[in-house]
Order: sequence, then C-alpha cells, then structure tokens
Amino acid sequence: MSELFLGSNHSSEQSTGAQTSGEQNPLVVFMPSGRRGRFAPGTTVLQAARDLGLGIESICGGRLTCGKCKVRVEEGEFAKHGMKSRAGHLTPASEAEELLLHTMHADDCRLSCTAQITDDLLIFVPEESRAHKQVIRKAATDRIIDVDPAIRQVYVQVDKADLGEHRGDWRRVQDALEREWGLTNLAIDLLALRRLQLALRQGNWGVTLIIWNEREVLDIKPGYVEGIYGLAVDVGSTTVAAYLCDLRTGAVLATESTMNPQISFGEDLMSRVSYAMMNEDGTEKMHDAIIKTLNKLAAQAAYAAGLRGRDIHECVAVGNTTMIHLLLGIDPRELGGAPFALANRDAMDIKARDLGLKLHPAAYLHVLPSEAGHVGADNVGVLIAEEPHRQPEIELIVDIGTNAEIVLGNDKWLLSASSPTGPAFEGAQISAGMRAAPGAIERVRVDRESGRANFRVIGETRWSDEWDFSENTAAYEQPQHLASGICGSGIIEAIAELFLAGILLPDGRFNSAHKTDRLVWEGRRGAYLLALPEQTISGKAIYVTQDDVRNIQLAKAALYAGAKILMKRAGIERVERIVLAGAFGSFIDPLYALVLGLIPDCDPQKVVAVGNAAGDGARIALLNRSKRREAQELAVRVHYIETAVAPDFQDEFVDAIHIPHASDAYPHLAAILPPPLESTPVDTARPRRRMRQSRS
Amino acid sequence: MSEAEEIVLSELTLEDLYELMKEDLYDGLAAEIVEEVNEALSRGQTPYEVLTYGLVGGMEIVGNDFRDGILFVPEVLMAAKAMKAGMFILRPLLAETGAQKIGSMVIGTIKGDIHDIGKNLVAMMMEGAGFEVFDLGINNSAEAYLEAIAQHNPDILGMSALLTTTMPYMKVVIDTLKEKGIRQDLIVLVGGAPLNEAFAEAIEADAYCRDAAVAVETAKKFMQIRKGVQI
Repeated sequence: MSELFLGSNHSSEQSTGAQTSGEQNPLVVFMPSGRRGRFAPGTTVLQAARDLGLGIESICGGRLTCGKCKVRVEEGEFAKHGMKSRAGHLTPASEAEELLLHTMHADDCRLSCTAQITDDLLIFVPEESRAHKQVIRKAATDRIIDVDPAIRQVYVQVDKADLGEHRGDWRRVQDALEREWGLTNLAIDLLALRRLQLALRQGNWGVTLIIWNEREVLDIKPGYVEGIYGLAVDVGSTTVAAYLCDLRTGAVLATESTMNPQISFGEDLMSRVSYAMMNEDGTEKMHDAIIKTLNKLAAQAAYAAGLRGRDIHECVAVGNTTMIHLLLGIDPRELGGAPFALANRDAMDIKARDLGLKLHPAAYLHVLPSEAGHVGADNVGVLIAEEPHRQPEIELIVDIGTNAEIVLGNDKWLLSASSPTGPAFEGAQISAGMRAAPGAIERVRVDRESGRANFRVIGETRWSDEWDFSENTAAYEQPQHLASGICGSGIIEAIAELFLAGILLPDGRFNSAHKTDRLVWEGRRGAYLLALPEQTISGKAIYVTQDDVRNIQLAKAALYAGAKILMKRAGIERVERIVLAGAFGSFIDPLYALVLGLIPDCDPQKVVAVGNAAGDGARIALLNRSKRREAQELAVRVHYIETAVAPDFQDEFVDAIHIPHASDAYPHLAAILPPPLESTPVDTARPRRRMRQSRS
Repeated sequence: MSEAEEIVLSELTLEDLYELMKEDLYDGLAAEIVEEVNEALSRGQTPYEVLTYGLVGGMEIVGNDFRDGILFVPEVLMAAKAMKAGMFILRPLLAETGAQKIGSMVIGTIKGDIHDIGKNLVAMMMEGAGFEVFDLGINNSAEAYLEAIAQHNPDILGMSALLTTTMPYMKVVIDTLKEKGIRQDLIVLVGGAPLNEAFAEAIEADAYCRDAAVAVETAKKFMQIRKGVQI
C-alpha cells in the first residue's frame, strides 16, 4: 500500500507514484503528459516512461530498427521543476542510433529504448511516438453568423494606359475602384504592386482585387476570379485549433487541431512566463514553436480543403494574454507578477508575414483585444460568441482552465474576473491524474449501498461493471482500454459521487463511519479505491487520495469564490443561467459541477456547455468585421475585478472549500443532496473526550 | 444551552479546564475560549501558563491534524480565530509581565504576488504557536522587508509566493540581506505552491516549508538551535 500515499499535494513528484527511489536520483519529466518521477541512473527513458504508465511506441524492442520510440530532450532551466535539462544528461548515442535517427530526419531526437538517464531531464514525447494519441475535441459549433468579412473581392475594368496620360497603373486602378465601387483612399501592399502591371495586361485591363477592410489591396489577379478564405485560430495553452473558412459563405471548410508545442517549456502559463524570464532566448523559442505550429495547421487545413496556404487572405487569433504575447514574440514577463501589465490591450492588425506566418504573402493577422492582465482575447471571443450583453437574463460564463475566466452580466452590465484554479482540473496535482486521453476515467458512479465504484474510461463505451476478462471471451468483447488514470471530469464526478454516497464528508474528509470496503486507511488518512488492479493498465489500483480531494477543494473554491465576488459586487444572489465554456466545460456533467459546488446554485437545465466558444468567437470575428468593433467595445466595457485583493475574497474562498458550500444554499439540489449530518463522526484514532454536545 | 450536560467552568479541575480549552480551540469556538481564558486567569494562572498549556497546546493539536489531512483550511482558520480571541486578553498581560516570547517573525508575500491566503494561514498558525508576527501583507519589495526588519528586529523572515514567476525575487531579497550584512541574523523561511526544497537551497534560504504546520515546526526547531547557540 506504500505507493498509495505518494501523491501528496506538496511534493514535486506528484504523478503516478510508480517508483519510490531516493531523492538524489535524477528527475525526469515527460511532456506533454506532465508525468514525472525520479529514476536510478542507467534507467532507459522508455523504461522510465513505462514505470510512470506512459505509453511510448516501440516495435523492435531496443534492436535499433523501428525508431518508433523517438523522444526529444528539451534543454534549458525549468524553475517550476527545479531542474536543468541537457541533452548531455542522457548517455551518448551510439553510431547505430545516430544513423537510424538521421535516416528518419530526426537528428534532434533520441531513441528512448537505448538512451539511459544520467541526470535531470525534460523529455518531449512527439505525437507520433505516443502509444495513446491525445483526444482533442475542439470542433467548430453551429452558430448563426452574419457573413460580412474584412476581406472582399472586387472586379474592375481599368482604363488602358495611353501615351500622353501619366497617371500610372495604380492610380488608374484606384480611379476605377472609386468609379465602380466607391472605394477611396486605398493603399496597396508592395507585393501586390509588384504583380499589378502584369495582371492588368494579362487580364486585358480587367482585374480582380482582394481588398482588406476597404483600406488596402492585398492582391490583384488578371480577369475575373473568385475565392477568398480565412483562418480562425484559437491558441490555447494546451490545444491549438484552426478553422479554415470560406469568406463568401462562412462555411467551415476544414478544422485542424494539435497540442500547443510550448508545453515542453512549461505546462501552465506561469511556467512558460518563467521560462521566458530564465532563458535569454525563451520568448523567441516559444514564439517560433507556436508560429511553426500555426503554419502546420494552416497548411493541413488548406490541404484538406483542396487549397494552398497562400489562399488564406486573413487570419483571426484568440488566446489568453500570455499566448498572445508569445504569438507576437513579445516577452511575457510583465504578466508574471502584479500589476500584470499587458503590452497592448486593444485589437491589432499585423502583417502575417512579419511573424513568419505562411499564409497569403500580404495577409493580415487580426488579434482580438484583451480585457485585463489575465483575461485575454479568448475571453473576448467567448463574449462575442455567447453575447451575454444582448440579453436581459443574468448569465454566468465560466471558462475553466488552469486559470478560470469568469464573466457575469446581462445587457446592462458586465463584470469579469480571473481565478487561479491551478492545474487540478486538468489532472495535474491528482495522484492518478492524467489528461483526457484514452484510458482516462471520465465518468464515475458510486453505489449508494456498497460504496463501490463503477466507471467509464475514454475510448471504451462499456462501464467497468460490464468488463469481461474471462478467458473464453472474444478479444473484441474485452475492453479496448483499461484504466490508466483519472482526468479532470473524472475526478469531479468521483468526488461528487463520493460525497453523495456519504463516503466523503462535506468538509472533505473521508467518512470513517461508512461501511464500504473501498475505503483504506493509513493511520487516520483515508483513500478511496476507485479502480481495482485488474481494471488498470499498470496492474496497480487507482485511488482517490485525501490530497486529491483537498486539491480539488482548493481549485473549486477559487472558482466559486471568484464568481461569488462578482455576484456580490452586482448585488445579486442567484444567476439565471450558467455557461460552461472551454473544452473541459463540455465534459463536466452540470449536475456534478453543482454537487461539487464548482458553480453557484442554478437550475441544472439552465447550466449549458458551449464547447470551444473562444474558437467560435475567432470564427465570428473572421466572418464579420462589425463583430470586431463590438469585441473592442466589449473589452473596454467589461468591468474587471481583481478578486485576489478583494477584502472578502478569503472568507468567500474558505466558505467555498466545503462541499458543496459552507453557507450558500443549493435549493436546486435539495432532492439529491445527502441529509445534513447530525454530528461529525468522531475520529477513531485520537479519542477526544466530548465533555458536552453544545453550549449556548 | 445544552440539553445534555451543562458545564460549569468553575467546577472543573484545572487539568480539565485546559483540556476543554484545547477542545474548544479545535472546534473554533471563540466565545468559549474567552470565557475559559478568563476563568484560568481568575484561578491565579499566569498569562504565560494559560498561553502555553491552553492555547499553544491546543493549536499544536490543530497543526498536527492539519499536517495529517484531518483538518483543512476552514477548520484551521476557525481555530486560529478562536486563538486570536484568547490572545486579545493575554497579549497586554504578557507584555506587562514581560514573559519571554518564543520568537518573532516578519512575513509577507513577495513582490508581484497578490495571493495571500497561504501566507495568512502561516501567520495565524505562527501566532497560535506563540510567535509574535508582523504581517506586511502582499506585494513586498526588498526595501519593504528591510524596513520591517529594522523596525521589529525579528528572529525570522517569512516570504511566500504563489506564482512561479514571482518566486525568483526571493533571491533578490536574500541577496540584499547579505549585502546589508544581516543575513546571518535572520532565519529565512520560504513557502508557496510553486516552491520546493531545491529552490530554497538554491536561493540560500534556511528552509522551505510546504505548509503552515511545517512552517511552525520548522520555526520552532530553528529557534531552539538559535537559543541554544546564543546561551
């Protein structure tokens, strides 16, 4: 049972508890999973990954023939992990390894089956090397968008050049544009100017122009041609999504998404800001990484739609403030501490080529505005998608990530805040935590009588009580994935269900008086047996530990307290509707979010998940330029409240640590919440003399 | 009023009175603590005895249960509030009698960091353990720490950071202490979510304290060494 209690919320090795070796052994952190552990020198990287329950592909089993298991060492100083990672912290590559890597065009990689650990390492496992590919669910949702993009295409018949008339071809085009379209004061991109004369003559003075915002000509083509395209991108700190749209119809032609490669430099935002502070070329490296990724996504999306990258005439980006700083190559260090000053809060139009983006050579990148130091363009995207400012109902919008952005309001007023929930909801700080990938426990039910759990993992449709391991069961009837950990939605359901079953007390302690056989105790510290050894990929049981519960309590209290401060400032006690935005919000069952006390009381029917609303907002701004003006107005209008310095924040935070809440009522849950306990069960291990029941 | 059994404080033995004090502190009952402190004083107990056997003894149990995950932030804060109510009576008396303090501490969150709940918890637990605590609040520059050190001449300097990005500034503060030649006069304790022992060692703090209970234990340990050396 010793591996059970390794997942302390304080230790820096808090992942899987796969090994218990000494403090002096090298620390190895795997990205993007974030799993870490200490391993004896001489352990191969592959072995270390497997000990941590991480799947890395390998076919040849160390014979240096398949090359499937390649990984990359990320070099630099990582303050968050308290380590320096160097390529030299692995045993040197043999000639055979170097040769194989070279033939695979992977000279910057190492083969994890043969490279041995000698010192601290941060290892990036490329997508193709991962045994379980990430599940990324960011898809463009259907919203009604009025198509009125910033890019338009016009055809004009231009006066021919003639001797004795010296206007110049560009002036002749301008005159035609004014005459036929009423367009004046246009500028022309140098690259378009270079194509102008030939296009005019090839098209026999009839040309099609691509015009941006009625201000600038981006391209000129002979004759009449049709087709304008744009790309909306949502740069999340975990996932980057791109939607290629036809700007004439508004149709989404292709959706592509991938992991944000900056994860290697730091899992959460502050680690990345810290990386920029500690490493001279940190900002540049992270900037290059995201630009490369956007280029890849743009190329993939264009290919999927039968187009080329240069057919993309405009790009609109949203992201949190740190992501936008890094996207633009701006050092994010000012966002690392109070007063959290942004380089620029307002919307920006930047030539995509200046950033190295490979779109149309004259294309613009439009960046939506931000609200405050920690409420960025992604939240503004959510606002223009959800439009709380266009309805009388008071709505609470919560975008849950390592930092939760909260907006409260209606057509009369809007307040926003940001709460540091930490990475617990993403599976970090949870002893068996993992990201939402195949094998992650995502749904949990606890039997009210026996207190035993039934769960479902990602990638497997059957609940665990239907899993059949008997020998004569056909392979296809056996579960596709065993449990390998718990993801954010899974831990929320587990804790809420344990609470409903009376196994977890409102103060977050395990109930020693409960008769279930799934509670195990080490001294007075309880833990709940969620998955049996035979139900897991590692063959080791998966527990919900006391520290797991505590970390979720802290995270949910931060979120709730932020929302509550906004409600108090607005002078309201109830919200009429709650919107859960973000990929994570889509996977939480609203009922469990309420039971846990993650969000204030509300009719469960009126708690809705809207998916990637930030991405939708980017798409809306791409397709409708008046929405960009609206975004700018909203960004300025939303009243941001710094909850951390609010005098009542601590009290609200502390009250929200209870499940669901110490003092705020949940009338909508009246039918399902367990009755209040008459008295808290007395600790068994430390007998306390109760000298009285109560006193006035 | 209780239906079960009414406790008459004056009828309790001194031992039971202190036991009751510890229980009520554990349950965060401020009004009861005030009554019990007054009762103990009226029996001729010195303020120092009430502090040591009642309040500090009670907070030690709270600290241990917090460390073991039995109690959590809300319960500890309630206990600390009850402690404060008792200290409100004892503090002036202790000052009068010139009773020896366990030690004193200047504490604050580091420059750029505005999250202070963890720091507040440490400050309360330290007070609960009998330390005199000077809380500088949030967002403190090296100058602010220096000024407070000059003013209060504490045994311990406590710094806290919640953000990875603000914690490097702790090194700036420690380097400033060295420059001024006062580093060796102070026990420097650091804490906060992104920190660890290696970081504390790297910036040459005396110790990293992973939570409020550990902070108290560590502070006591260092004070013992310090007093041992001084004598």
